[in-house]
Amino acid sequence: MKKLQYLFMSLAAMFLATPAFAQGTVSPAAQWVPLAAGLGMALAAGLCGLAQGKATASATEALARNPGARPGIFIFLILGLAFIESLALFTFVIIFLKVQA
Amino acid sequence: MPTQLLFTKFLNAHFAALVTALLEVFHVHPKYPQAPITNSFAMELLVFAILVAYFVVVRLTLSVEKPGAAQHLAEMANSFVADQGEQIIGHGSERFVTYLTALFLFILLSNLLGLVPGLESPTADVVVPLGFALVTFLYYHYHGIRANGAGYIKQFLGPVWWLYPLLFPIEIISHCARVLSLTVRLYANMFAGDLLTLAFFSLIPVGIPLVFLGLHLGVAVIQAYVFMLLATIYLSLAVAHDH
Repeated sequence: MKKLQYLFMSLAAMFLATPAFAQGTVSPAAQWVPLAAGLGMALAAGLCGLAQGKATASATEALARNPGARPGIFIFLILGLAFIESLALFTFVIIFLKVQA
Repeated sequence: MPTQLLFTKFLNAHFAALVTALLEVFHVHPKYPQAPITNSFAMELLVFAILVAYFVVVRLTLSVEKPGAAQHLAEMANSFVADQGEQIIGHGSERFVTYLTALFLFILLSNLLGLVPGLESPTADVVVPLGFALVTFLYYHYHGIRANGAGYIKQFLGPVWWLYPLLFPIEIISHCARVLSLTVRLYANMFAGDLLTLAFFSLIPVGIPLVFLGLHLGVAVIQAYVFMLLATIYLSLAVAHDH
């Protein structure tokens, strides 16, 4: 219950704060672009961090149990990290393309 | 006029007319006829020149009794890629080592060029990684057809005949997506690294950006390795025989 309370409080603060940004000559649709870009990138970066942490944790566990399997684990770890990271980078590229235009 | 690096300016001062004339033959009209050579092309040319010079030095100083520093470095790079290929592709990986080593060294040097003041990474421009990805795409399909003949088409089809019309388009799309993901991964990493250093440089101009420059160094090496690794894996999938 307390968490919901915090959520609504922060939402109220956000909705109250928006008129302050609308003062400039920016069109009403474009004013959300920085917010959306920031939120999108934050979501992507956060989830990417979570996933990479999970992958690295499993790799270190596997390495602790079987140190002999280092080369094989290393390849798959790097590969997995690269694939996970590329998802966040897709978000970055889309944001960059859309915000520039 | 776009902003030009020193080397690009030098190239444009000497070869602009020639390059513009050459492009006109192919009905390509450069945006700036006085400066048709872009920064990324000039940097690629620089990487090419450095690599060729390095290989020439290695070839000239080649000796069995007293291997020099350049030869040691070349042998290290070659054996690193060869080990990787042996581990992933297995038997018959020797013929791919030359291509993979060249790809690895070119991307590594391109990425590292961005750390030198006054130069920039050609891989931070989207067309350069696209070139690498397209060449890799053509290369592994060529070797897939060479190794499996007409049976290569079986890799695009499912295990049973009634799945063929469903799986064929999916496989085609997934192979094209490989090009996209290879391109965007390299491009976005290099571009984001440069942008990150620049952003922190604009916040605190002393000391702190150095940390991100160090991070960028790590990313540059890892991304060159990942590109080479993925090319190796795609090759291994393409040349694998169905049992």
